[in-house]
Amino acid sequence: MSHLLLALYPASWRTRYGEEFELILADRPLGPFDVADVLLGALDAHLHLRGLGAASQHAKGFAMSLRIGGWAAIAGGPLWFLGLAGASADANDGPGPWSGVMVAGTAALLVALTGLSAFQARRYPRLTWAAFALPAIGIVVSAIGAVAMAVVGDRPFLGDLSPWYVWMSGTITMFVGSGLFAVATWRTPTLSRRAAGLLAVSSVAVFAAVPAMTGLFAAPDAVITALFVVAMAAFVGGWIALGTSALRIDRSISSTLQGAN
Amino acid sequence: METPIPELGRFAEPALLILVSLSDGPKHGYAIMTDVEAGTGRPMGPGTLYAALARLEERGLIEALTPVDRRRPYRLTGVGATVLAEQLRDLSEFASAGLRRLGQASR
Repeated sequence: MSHLLLALYPASWRTRYGEEFELILADRPLGPFDVADVLLGALDAHLHLRGLGAASQHAKGFAMSLRIGGWAAIAGGPLWFLGLAGASADANDGPGPWSGVMVAGTAALLVALTGLSAFQARRYPRLTWAAFALPAIGIVVSAIGAVAMAVVGDRPFLGDLSPWYVWMSGTITMFVGSGLFAVATWRTPTLSRRAAGLLAVSSVAVFAAVPAMTGLFAAPDAVITALFVVAMAAFVGGWIALGTSALRIDRSISSTLQGAN
Repeated sequence: METPIPELGRFAEPALLILVSLSDGPKHGYAIMTDVEAGTGRPMGPGTLYAALARLEERGLIEALTPVDRRRPYRLTGVGATVLAEQLRDLSEFASAGLRRLGQASR
């Protein structure tokens, strides 16, 4: 009886589940409920396998966005910081290699933000894409400012705005926007919540440091410096942790897809 | 309230029961069936069990381990544990809201 019931399933399904399924059928006396359930299961397997190709492509798309976003996050945070630190330490005011490193890091962060948002959007599309918009705008503006600093130096461009002003505005928006992305990541909760917490800390630290830096309220230099150090460390650490958790999930999905093929 | 275990259609409820069954450690198919039956008082047929298992595996919510005596155990993945925790929280909030309304209506 169990052989006959198993034969109703598609061959590819039997290859994967046949042996264990037959053991289950042998483990208990089959009543009318079980037979009807298995008949419906066989019908479902035939119908489901037809749609499996599309579902598999769907899952591969998610895995790909995680993989690209994960590697970009791991590379982007440290590259951006390395470029910033190098450019700050470089006595030469002209275009230098550090500006290129910073632009590369900024571009990688945009790729990371896009890839990870595409993955998270499958659950909360509105929240995710709303949280994507602000940091993405900040990253693009920051990259424009960085390129302009390398090309025109201190001369104004975009009306009276200096490249540094554009870069700084974009960078602050990127940090504050990362806080929104952290909220979406925390809410979704597939990627690391610890990483989301680090990004939120960096966002809050920048949010607190900027008014003091611009003289809106008085604060000792040591406090402002400490806030920026915390912001940078949490920002870089947060993106690395996000990327690592994305790659871990990608490995899990990819091994499942390989097992199914 | 979120749809329990998204995109699983009529297998959403069996899938949730399977995830709960696997939440305290790996189990093979027959152990899942008996565990679900003991927990809910309702039997889960083998056809339903394997239709839901296949879907959960495709979505990366569970993974198959190396067979032991030809029986293949399954365990929750990290994603599966996260999705399960969120579904249970949603159900808990839904139940609390329902009970609150019921309390207000009976006053």
